Amino acid sequence: QHGRVKVKTTAQQEEEKRKEREKKLQIYVAARDACFTKRKDGVFDDEALQLTQQLLSSNPDFATLWNYRREILLHLETVRNQDEVQKIYEAELSFLESCLKVNPKSYGSWHHRGWVSARLPRPDWARELSLCDRCLSLDDRNFHCWDYRRMVVKMSGVPVKQELDFTDRLIGSNFSNYSSWHYRSTLLPLLHPQAPDTPSQCGNPPPSASPQTHFHRVCEEQLLKEYELVQNAFFTDPNDQSAWFYYRWLLGRAERDEMISCVYVSREEERVAVAFSRPVNAQSVGLLLILDGQPQRVEWQSVHPHFKNSPVWICSLPPGTISDVANEHNLTVHWTEKHSHRDCALYTGRSESWCRDTATDLELFRSELSVEKTSVLQSELQSVRQLQELEPLNKWCLLTIILLMRALDPLGYEKETLAHFQTLKDVDSMRSAYYSDLCSKFMIENTILKMEYAEVRVFSISDRKLTTLCHLDQLLLVTHINLSSNQLQQLPPQFAMLQCLEVRIGTLFFLLFFINLNSEISTLADLQPLASCPKLKRLDLRGNPITQTTNAEAELAGLLPSVTDLLL
Amino acid sequence: MAEEENQFEECEQIDFLKDRHVRFFQRTLQVLPERYASLETTRLTILFFALSGLDVLDALDVVDSDVLIEWIYSQQVLPTQDKSNLNRCGFRGSSHIGIPYSTKGPGVLHPYDSGHVAMTYTGLCSLLILGDDLSRVNKEAVLAGLKVLQLEDGSFYAVPEGSENDIRFIYCAASICYMLDDWSGMDIQKAIEYIRGSLSYDNAFGQGAGKECHGGWTYCAIASLCLMGRLEEALSQRELNRIRRWCIMRQQSGFQGRPNKPVDTCYSFWVGATLELLDAFQFTNFEKNRSFILSTQDRLVGGFAKWPDSHPDPLHAYLGLCGLSLIGEPDLRKVHPALNITQRAFQHLQQLQQTWRGNGGSCIGQQDDLQH
Repeated sequence: QHGRVKVKTTAQQEEEKRKEREKKLQIYVAARDACFTKRKDGVFDDEALQLTQQLLSSNPDFATLWNYRREILLHLETVRNQDEVQKIYEAELSFLESCLKVNPKSYGSWHHRGWVSARLPRPDWARELSLCDRCLSLDDRNFHCWDYRRMVVKMSGVPVKQELDFTDRLIGSNFSNYSSWHYRSTLLPLLHPQAPDTPSQCGNPPPSASPQTHFHRVCEEQLLKEYELVQNAFFTDPNDQSAWFYYRWLLGRAERDEMISCVYVSREEERVAVAFSRPVNAQSVGLLLILDGQPQRVEWQSVHPHFKNSPVWICSLPPGTISDVANEHNLTVHWTEKHSHRDCALYTGRSESWCRDTATDLELFRSELSVEKTSVLQSELQSVRQLQELEPLNKWCLLTIILLMRALDPLGYEKETLAHFQTLKDVDSMRSAYYSDLCSKFMIENTILKMEYAEVRVFSISDRKLTTLCHLDQLLLVTHINLSSNQLQQLPPQFAMLQCLEVRIGTLFFLLFFINLNSEISTLADLQPLASCPKLKRLDLRGNPITQTTNAEAELAGLLPSVTDLLL
Repeated sequence: MAEEENQFEECEQIDFLKDRHVRFFQRTLQVLPERYASLETTRLTILFFALSGLDVLDALDVVDSDVLIEWIYSQQVLPTQDKSNLNRCGFRGSSHIGIPYSTKGPGVLHPYDSGHVAMTYTGLCSLLILGDDLSRVNKEAVLAGLKVLQLEDGSFYAVPEGSENDIRFIYCAASICYMLDDWSGMDIQKAIEYIRGSLSYDNAFGQGAGKECHGGWTYCAIASLCLMGRLEEALSQRELNRIRRWCIMRQQSGFQGRPNKPVDTCYSFWVGATLELLDAFQFTNFEKNRSFILSTQDRLVGGFAKWPDSHPDPLHAYLGLCGLSLIGEPDLRKVHPALNITQRAFQHLQQLQQTWRGNGGSCIGQQDDLQH
């Protein structure tokens, strides 16, 4: 349904139009009925072609008629010689051209043209490409035409290089050509593929095809040329997003391997917690626990019973299995589906143990952009900063700078990143909630990195205007958490991933685990996730609206019975 | 300060004219203008827009449910006595082929009569909206007719005799299977592969592999994965974040379907619902979205158009309402973002499914996955 602009007319003009429409309608109905009768009777003659042509000219979306027409043509193929068939199909292409002139976005017409091109005894691919050129010159965003072009290229074996040059011409004459950049993204990896990586540790087969996998990446030499092309584009018109999206893709990096990122074992609770690099359903991925060489029959549970996919899973060991602190135990968790596993040794005298690849080691928070090319990233950052000086209010610049900084040195650039986010929220205020969320995410990432660097299990991030919590799967081992003076309105159910947030009694050191929340917690429901933190003892809710509600104390006691130290 | 004053002045112009929209849909159900003739073959989809639109407006009392239910069932392509046409079953768009009117089986064999996947989808939705219990839907036949439409690459044709094939029809198929609570009608794994293959370099979905991405196809991809319960299996956290970002960047005032294209009312739903499914709709600007949608409202005849100063049509009228519902416009029913029917109609479906399963078993949730 296409947008039609309103035009005012006089009453007489209206009446004339009505009569004309009435007449057209009668002709249409007569032709349609004649058509169906013919088709029903299995008649495939020239008159049928005529009738369908008449109808399709005014309504190219009448799919049944295109099907009938294809039947007629197939029939004619059997009773005419090749030259005649060639002529018939050429006439068909001409007919289709006139249809497309009227409606260049009809699925039916383009689909039929594709069918005809495939059946033509002597196809003229140059003509088809030329049709596409003309169509695209009228509307360079017509995806029907682009799709048809791709089909023609595939069927006729047009060299990728030639098509790449085509995109060069289009982009060269007009940088703001989103569809051309898109086409380029599909051609480039074909012409200049990245050399295959060394096999991954896990020996995974590649995930199914998408431009994000490394099989669709581009070789270094060509990438550098592309950076130059794209820079020309965004320097010429910094407000056009085509080049910026393409640039982001160029700088991007393949997904990391899927793996078990952490195994944690608590002797006292006789419990094992496993963190994965992405949410999984432990019940269906072949998760196997081996203890001291013996496979264990355990029941894996998601940390939050409501979700069947979770990055953190827990299980209990049979009582007495590891409780004797004099014994050493060796655990291995196997993720059989991915041929991945992780070991964890629980030493004598230790009440808990874990094995983990840190976020720092995995360069987890730097993996947005490609890290092996630091020099390239540095030079790109320099270029974009130059542009930013010329265009201080351009949001794409700011975003790209933030991303490049995070790729190079998340902690080192933290202050500048926060400043840029503030500017970003000012210049693109419509999306300020999104930017706050993104900024929160980056601040949490930085806090995790600092925590790892200091080798502590305290996660403290206060007065950072946090609007959201994320990466909670990275906080499996955290014992202390401080989220005061932020803008959090609720705790997500994922909070249950903080399995170590608890008090342990009977040890030499009495470690006090608490949560300090000075945010905007206002209802009981906001605190629901804490019910899944088994032995939370102390909760400081001072400064939160919930303290003003009547009966708050009693209700909280009901929700969190284990909390003995409640500050309101 | 100046902005606030402007808002007060504009208040009168941007109020929501509920009654006009009810009448717009009522007229849609009665007679359509001549320029809609080309949509005859897809008439059932127009019925769906009108019915679901009235449902969102909480105004279904203006329709004669029984009459409409009968008409919808008359579009069901039923198996013949010998079931030789099982692969062609489903719902058709209208009576344009000329099959004699009938709401009961056995079906009549006609060489060119078949279901159309989008009509089956909107037909089932319409029945649910009208409160029907789907007892007259021949599920075996519908699913058989659906199964033959799927290609090796995982995408679907619309009709058994062939048509273009792409991600839109995967969405229709997934919705059908979801509603009938029976996934034997499609190979989920292949469909997921096709969807993944449609992920474009700039992190949204095209109609198929190598094709330019678009708000409508992105909705089809994400909604399908949600209905299948495979969102987090099929897409990594990073991919999901990038898709969210692409969608958020589509907002200019209302939403555009692709970068550098003008905003269009229907994308307030296609992109808005996608963001809702990805738990990121709260990052959009509700006011600007609302202002744009209402600027396309036709104050005289009701309904919404794709752009301001254009003719309204049922599709944009319906999706405009859905867009407003997403941002919490008062007096509008909430819409189930993946199935594209009201939550009320969805609850009716859930109750039906419970009775089909014979016990009080839990129904398929929409978001089973724990996100980072």
